[in-house]
Amino acid sequence: MSDSKATPETKRAESRARLLTSAQAEQAERHYDLALLKRLLPYAKPHKWLFIAAMILMPLSSLMGLVQPYLLKRGIDSVVVEKSEGALMQVVYLFAGALAAEFVVRFAQTYLMQLAGQKCTADLRGDVMGKIQRLRVGYFDRTPVGRVVTRVTNDIDSLAELFASGAVTAITDLITLVGIVVAMLLLDWQLSLVAFTALPPLALLVNLFRKRARSAFRDIRTRVAQLNAYLAEQVNGVRVVQAFGREKECADEYKDINAAYRDANYRSIRYDALLYSVVQSISVACVALVLYFAAVRAGWVSAGAEGALYVGTVVAFYDYIERFFVPIRDLATKYTIIQSSLASAERVFQLLDTDEDDAPHRPGDRPVVEEEAAVAFEDVTFAYRDGHPVLHEVSIAVRPGEHVALVGATGSGKTTLTSLLLRLYELEEGSLRVDGKDVRDWDAKALRRSFAVVPQDVFLFSGTLRANLALGELAPDDDRLWEALERTGAADLVRKRGGLDGRVDERGQNFSAGERQLLAFARALYRDVDRIILDEATANVDSETEHRLQLAAREALEGRTAIVVAHRLSTIREADRIIVMHQGRVAEEGTHEELLAAGGIYARLHKLQTATS
Amino acid sequence: MASPSDTSASPSERGDKRLRAYLRPYEGRLAFGVLLLLLTNAFDKAIPWVLQGAIDALEGGTFDKVRSAALTVMAIAAGLWIFRTRSRIEVFNVGRDVEYDLRNELIDNVHRLGPTFFRKMATGEIMSRATSDLGQVRLLVGFGVLRVVDSIFAFGGAIALMLALSPELTLYAMAPFPMIIFLARFFGKRLYLRSREHQEALAKLADVAQENLAGVRVVRAYAIEDAEQRRFDEANQAAVDASMRLVVLRGFMWPMLLLVASLGTLIVIWKGGEMVLAERLTVGELAAFNAYLAQLVWPTLALGWLLSVVQRGRAGYDRVRAILDAEPEVHSEGTVVPTGPGAMSVDHLEYSVREDGEEVPILKGVDLQVPAKGSLAIMGTVGSGKSTLAALLPRLAPTPKGRVFLDGEDVTDIDLRELRRAVGYAQQEPFLFSTTVERNIAFGMDDPDGPDARERIESAAEEACILEEIETLPDGMETLVGERGVQLSGGQKQRIALARALLNEPQVIVLDDPMSAVDARTEAQILRALDRAGEGRTLILVTHRVAAASRCESIVVLHDGAIVERGTHAELCAAGGRYSTLAERQQLEAELAITEDDARESRP
Repeated sequence: MSDSKATPETKRAESRARLLTSAQAEQAERHYDLALLKRLLPYAKPHKWLFIAAMILMPLSSLMGLVQPYLLKRGIDSVVVEKSEGALMQVVYLFAGALAAEFVVRFAQTYLMQLAGQKCTADLRGDVMGKIQRLRVGYFDRTPVGRVVTRVTNDIDSLAELFASGAVTAITDLITLVGIVVAMLLLDWQLSLVAFTALPPLALLVNLFRKRARSAFRDIRTRVAQLNAYLAEQVNGVRVVQAFGREKECADEYKDINAAYRDANYRSIRYDALLYSVVQSISVACVALVLYFAAVRAGWVSAGAEGALYVGTVVAFYDYIERFFVPIRDLATKYTIIQSSLASAERVFQLLDTDEDDAPHRPGDRPVVEEEAAVAFEDVTFAYRDGHPVLHEVSIAVRPGEHVALVGATGSGKTTLTSLLLRLYELEEGSLRVDGKDVRDWDAKALRRSFAVVPQDVFLFSGTLRANLALGELAPDDDRLWEALERTGAADLVRKRGGLDGRVDERGQNFSAGERQLLAFARALYRDVDRIILDEATANVDSETEHRLQLAAREALEGRTAIVVAHRLSTIREADRIIVMHQGRVAEEGTHEELLAAGGIYARLHKLQTATS
Repeated sequence: MASPSDTSASPSERGDKRLRAYLRPYEGRLAFGVLLLLLTNAFDKAIPWVLQGAIDALEGGTFDKVRSAALTVMAIAAGLWIFRTRSRIEVFNVGRDVEYDLRNELIDNVHRLGPTFFRKMATGEIMSRATSDLGQVRLLVGFGVLRVVDSIFAFGGAIALMLALSPELTLYAMAPFPMIIFLARFFGKRLYLRSREHQEALAKLADVAQENLAGVRVVRAYAIEDAEQRRFDEANQAAVDASMRLVVLRGFMWPMLLLVASLGTLIVIWKGGEMVLAERLTVGELAAFNAYLAQLVWPTLALGWLLSVVQRGRAGYDRVRAILDAEPEVHSEGTVVPTGPGAMSVDHLEYSVREDGEEVPILKGVDLQVPAKGSLAIMGTVGSGKSTLAALLPRLAPTPKGRVFLDGEDVTDIDLRELRRAVGYAQQEPFLFSTTVERNIAFGMDDPDGPDARERIESAAEEACILEEIETLPDGMETLVGERGVQLSGGQKQRIALARALLNEPQVIVLDDPMSAVDARTEAQILRALDRAGEGRTLILVTHRVAAASRCESIVVLHDGAIVERGTHAELCAAGGRYSTLAERQQLEAELAITEDDARESRP
């Protein structure tokens, strides 16, 4: 693995990793983990009885496991010391009882704990989704959809793993460990102390290997991120790699990272194996110690006859010691699970903490204006990014019932105007009133519900046509739906696709762009509100569909206040007033004839349109 | 989750055979690991055997024997540590080695695959197969192998030793174990079904979330957040339910397996105790018997888990194989090394792609001639086939035989790497790698650290009119670009990609609308630079700008996969076809932009 080949990113990641010494990092992590766990607590609270019930069962299930070696001792004593068949049978019955009880308690405990865990994580998932519904649209402009979906899915799943894997029940392990120690001490405190001398070297070795394993694990995480990033880039840019004939060089670079990843895994395997086997071996050594000391002690006490008394105890100890080391062995695995769950929790809480609320309530000194306008923009200036305004001091007033067409080249600010109107983005400068009331004083939902919207790129949800037409309504009125469909000329289409129960695939991909448009018109009509925003699609459709869309648009706009981002000449001509946007400003205003006569931008745009169509 | 190969057995069996082939290079190490596993098990089994003697000695009062037995166990513990550690390392490392090989094979094949494959399989899908599915395969060859071998040794060894102690008691003690086979079958099948249901419920949940986010504007504009939340909550509840069904099953399985294993202990106490009372068994033998049984608990429990590892590993491998076995469309079988000046000709080129089982023609018989050092512009609307035509020249898509020629040689007879070296290509969507600007430009260079490298990089950047802007970047040429670096504008990216294509001084350069995001003035500047440097180079330019096309010696207009107009700028303008309409329109647009500029300047 040659270092000279390392990409700058690897170098950067390495230097970043070096900044924190491992001890510091560990300390910081521990502190942080606690804070994260604390934030999870409120989600556990509503299900506290489930948790409490599971917790109560925990020591019980430990106890049922723990009595078994003791019963084994009693069994051996009954045959070696008492030599009585009756005593033996009594032990057999007790043992069978313990087994049955362990089975029931274990099942109940797992079930309750998992149920509680599932409910907790489901609540958290619901909360995350709720938060997403309240984030402002600008957030999604910056954040890829995939990343946000991951928060709702993978990250929450990873948290659920905390409960499913039994990492949370690590507490049971602790109880078991304590129980074993107590049981052993009660059985024979001297032999117990001898057995426990094996613990300090064990702790030392475990700690040593665990530290190394952890550093290897960190290395693995960095490498695997590099590996995946590199592969994803190669897949996305495969055409460039091929065009330049750099397949071999790129593959070599990837293979270097791959080798580093493999080597880091080798290291992790080495320490994991050492850790796992040392626990096993020390447990065996522990048994040998107990045996040795039992013999020495029996030799002190008497010259031979007492040995039989210790047989049952030694056998029980053998069993206890085996049981003692199982949870210790699993500790490392559980620790890893907890770590990765907490990393997910961190990302989830980061999303929950995002301070970018959609349409926040902003009380201000904005009086309601009595005006002869349904919608009024006044000196609106707006920028998505600071210093790059897309609207400059725009003032437009739309009278109730008026149809206004917004015309202009792409990027002239037409769609931004409609977004501001729905308060999808927050107005910073100027004033924008709907029914005389500033949009910032409206309840966002009430404001949005007062508009029907036909977007440029119609989005359909998977499900039925009914659900898509009556967006969000629990009990849609089928008669009214059909009426809307008839009026927009989409009824035949819906009938052909199995009526209102007809299936809509993901993103509505089983409908053509034109069909989706028609459905969107029906959707808007069904809404039946006074104001409509129509963002005409630019996509080319055949003349037949074009004609149907025209009729549907006319029907949808009829008798309503309409703001139309217009591309079709027919729609533009039919508007009461045309507003020509140019580079974020209102450049011209008037009817089709007036603007043509003026010979300005509109006249030129009109010429362009007719030149190509 | 269920790929088609899951349902029929034969592809999976073939998969198993192929999977074994990956183990072949590591057979030696694997055999060594298995040998060590055998030793580990032998040592493990020796412990109860030694203990048995010790316990009988303890009962009999011969304490010297007990002490020496204890020391023997100590020695065994030390040996165990070494063997167990080593065996795990050997076997697990083989798992990692196989993963390493699979990954390398994967990237090699990804590099060979063409656009058809990437249309069918999205990046996310490829990545999920290269990560989680590959991980499942590794678990199968690492953990899976270890567990299977270990369980066989553990069961075989323990049963043999138990038989040696007392065949009668063995029969009794092992009586519950056949139940395990039954349980494994019972739970194995249901576990698979329930896990799939659970996966599906989670996938559904992800779909709802994905859809909600993709349609966020509609959700907001129609204020249907509450309805959406309800829809999500339903899916969420369904996922919890599916998960709990899995929990119930697992919750039964583990205690059940544990119960079966513990039943053996119960029987040993009962029957063994009676045998000791009847003096047909010593107490030491009883203890050893119990110890052997205890050694079987873990392999028994692991059985349930092993089932799912094998299932998932095989399914994962099938999914990885879909990439490894994908047939490349472009084969590198040619050997000719191009040496000519770079004349390109296309002779009645037809090309179609398969979509949903239907052949969709893209190019319908295209003829072209570009003399060496000449220049040609290709124009046409979206979907006219101009990008496909451009990609077919350097064989970035499967170019048919005998249709495209470089200096008279059929491009399919030319060595692929040499062809792509001779025919430079820059695409419309500029793809930059997340490294420095310098390394991006030097991407095609064999010696990016050579003595004259910097000079060549800078001159290419200058030719693409990006050098000055690079110098204003925070770290100049060393600036990182991409997700973690500086966000460049579309025009800047395009010009860096252009510089990358110019660097190797190819005889022919194919530019697929590489300046769509560059403003007209800069484009003109680049084209002038190309003209200057173009003495030794053939230029094929796909563009939608008349101003750029007019600089080329000849122009063709593609429509619906066929050339509908061809000639010089002046000829085509005079002809009054598509080209002249476009020219008129762009002329108007340019005028409009100028008036706008004037208007802005006149404003205070």
